Amino acid sequence: MTVVVTGLGAVSCIGRNTPAFMRGLLAGESGIRAMTPEERAGGQAESVARIDRWTPQPELAPMKARRIDLGSQYAVVASLEAARQSGFPVSERPDRLGIALGTGSAGSGALTEFTRVLLSESPEAAPPFHFPNTIANAPASQVSIELKFLGPNVTITQKDPSALNAAIYASGCLEDRRADAMIAGGVDEWNGLYSSAMDMMHALRGSRRPSGIVQGEGCFVLFLEREDSATERGASALARLAGYAFAGSPSPPYAYADDDAAAERAMREALERSGAAPSDVDLVMPSANGRAEIDAMERRVLARVVGAKPSVAVKQAIGEMAAAGGAQLVAAVSAIAEGRAATVLVNSFGAGGNFLSAVLRTP
Amino acid sequence: MTGLGAVTALGSHVADTWAALLAGKCGIRPLTLFDPSAYRTQTAAQIDDIPDAFIDPARRRRMSRADRLGIAAAREAIEASGLDLGREDPTRIGVILGGGVSGLMDSEANYALMLAGKRPRPSRFLNHQPDAITDRLSEYFGLRGIKSTITTACSSSGVSMGYAFDAIRHGMADVVLTGGSDVLARLTYGGFNSLRSVDPDPCRPFDRNRKGLSIGEAAGILVFEEEGRARRRGAPILAEFRGYGVTSDAYHMTAPEPSGKAGARTIAAALASAELNAGDIGYVNAHGTATPANDSAETNAMKLALGEHARKIPVSSTKSMIGHSLCAAGGIEGVISILALRDQVAPPTIHLEDPDPECDLDYVAEGARPVPIRAVLSSSFAFGGNSAVVAFAAYPRGNAA
Repeated sequence: MTVVVTGLGAVSCIGRNTPAFMRGLLAGESGIRAMTPEERAGGQAESVARIDRWTPQPELAPMKARRIDLGSQYAVVASLEAARQSGFPVSERPDRLGIALGTGSAGSGALTEFTRVLLSESPEAAPPFHFPNTIANAPASQVSIELKFLGPNVTITQKDPSALNAAIYASGCLEDRRADAMIAGGVDEWNGLYSSAMDMMHALRGSRRPSGIVQGEGCFVLFLEREDSATERGASALARLAGYAFAGSPSPPYAYADDDAAAERAMREALERSGAAPSDVDLVMPSANGRAEIDAMERRVLARVVGAKPSVAVKQAIGEMAAAGGAQLVAAVSAIAEGRAATVLVNSFGAGGNFLSAVLRTP
Repeated sequence: MTGLGAVTALGSHVADTWAALLAGKCGIRPLTLFDPSAYRTQTAAQIDDIPDAFIDPARRRRMSRADRLGIAAAREAIEASGLDLGREDPTRIGVILGGGVSGLMDSEANYALMLAGKRPRPSRFLNHQPDAITDRLSEYFGLRGIKSTITTACSSSGVSMGYAFDAIRHGMADVVLTGGSDVLARLTYGGFNSLRSVDPDPCRPFDRNRKGLSIGEAAGILVFEEEGRARRRGAPILAEFRGYGVTSDAYHMTAPEPSGKAGARTIAAALASAELNAGDIGYVNAHGTATPANDSAETNAMKLALGEHARKIPVSSTKSMIGHSLCAAGGIEGVISILALRDQVAPPTIHLEDPDPECDLDYVAEGARPVPIRAVLSSSFAFGGNSAVVAFAAYPRGNAA
């Protein structure tokens, strides 16, 4: 059973669609900038990778956009791009298309606003229209409503590798024929309170902490299809999601488990499932997120598993977030589609002892 | 399924929860976890006694209420399964849960401090994310396999069981702890109240005078295990997870699709995945939130998907007794569905006194009823139109009641 990619979508701080994101990435651009005093809010973190001049138009009419939260706007725009590129006939087969998104922050804007009013004024003053958007599943659900499809609709939150996790769930849905096509990836929106909390938990890089992440935001998705179904409708595949694996490490939720064995297990199992030998890998999308001890661990394990290979550190351009693995997947598929690589290893490692790897190959 | 664990407003374990459910007891009572006086309603299915004395106090202090409930239920499920974790390969045991509120109560306390210009306690933010419980379970029990947390609101732990099923069949794990643990918080209590969806009195599913849900908290954890492996080690196999349906309504963020078409698609997908017919189903544990919109839409969905059988199948909403535990509802109701199958008895729907003409199925209103059951459906419908229905059946197959 083969799962292929027939479309890509990206809303990022370095470009509002996949071509712009890829141009920026390959040109070495970075969306990481200094925080404003308001964004810093007295913390030690100094940098952030936000989408600064965002407009949901033309994809979403202004009246409609006002009713949906920021993460959902990113998700609708990126999903429309991927669905259009794939050419999948959504209106003819709405029950055969589904979505799986990973996120760490979807709903944070609505959640903090609803809670602020509830706590500082009264529960009765809290605005009801915010409540449904406080839940992480709002973006995937808004996409299903906007694109009018009826298949599986799943949201996953499992630290930084959530987007890869969602792509793996989606792949299972295709293998089991719960759907013929799945939009899969990740979405995140930056939020001031979440940023302050992450800083207090020593997660962010800043003036007093050289090792840590810079938070990003955006949405990155793949349009995945079962190969038989894509071939039948004459769609051309950009790449194939050939293998993937999870490895866990017992760890408190916000600690980074420095676990070489888990990282190695994830990479080796993903390669084994993909049918690729370690020597076949000609491009690596490392997890590399700025946490010094984990980055050093990853370099050690990569050297042992695949040796020295070209690599692209996507998070240097867009920051770290649960959706970042989606950006790595988009970059990996683009590299394959443009003939710059044939077998790409994608690593996405997170706090809480979560290690995921995926292998993409030429179709 | 080789093990079950439960903590609810009606009991600290599976056995006492199940006995209370069959006796038709109500766990919905005055809310004391936080001061509810400024809210429209003041009741909830609150858990007063968390059976977590076995957790080292220093570790317990760093855990959220949801972590403590989840670990207590998981410990019960693991013990019941007979798994000796010290002798198992930890890389083949995963954790896939539904999550939502998690440590939100602690974040709310911190946010209140910040809004008052005071300094928050950073450690109180550690459990904010829904995935914290999954990491905590893997940490507490030393597990190294797949970890995932589904965040599809009220269908989260229904979907999580589906993912656990997929993970085992696709060779990503041999054993998965699944289900969910979810607790009360001001956000969800205030949120459902702001939408006028909460009944000030204990909820009355399918009743003509139903006014909304009763919010609750619960942990329901299930041990899923690959069949061959469970047989080889002589595990107590309770039932088979036959399949599941997961779909989008693509209708509205909060309202269910009223004709029942959307819910019927989910039920049909579950039957197809499980390779079961409507006539095989002996009991349905309904979503049955007791909101005016849900119960009529869900009734319509069952009629559309189950056809002539819909009127013959006993259906109950156990939320009338243990409330709606949001992201844990699918997990605890999965536990209840398996117990119904094991004991061949349908638990009742309580407080259903004046039937709604639009809700005209058999809701087991008179009290627990012995019935022959070979297969069970458990439904979860959520905000965002995220729907999941799971199917359990007697094991081994063909073991007719």
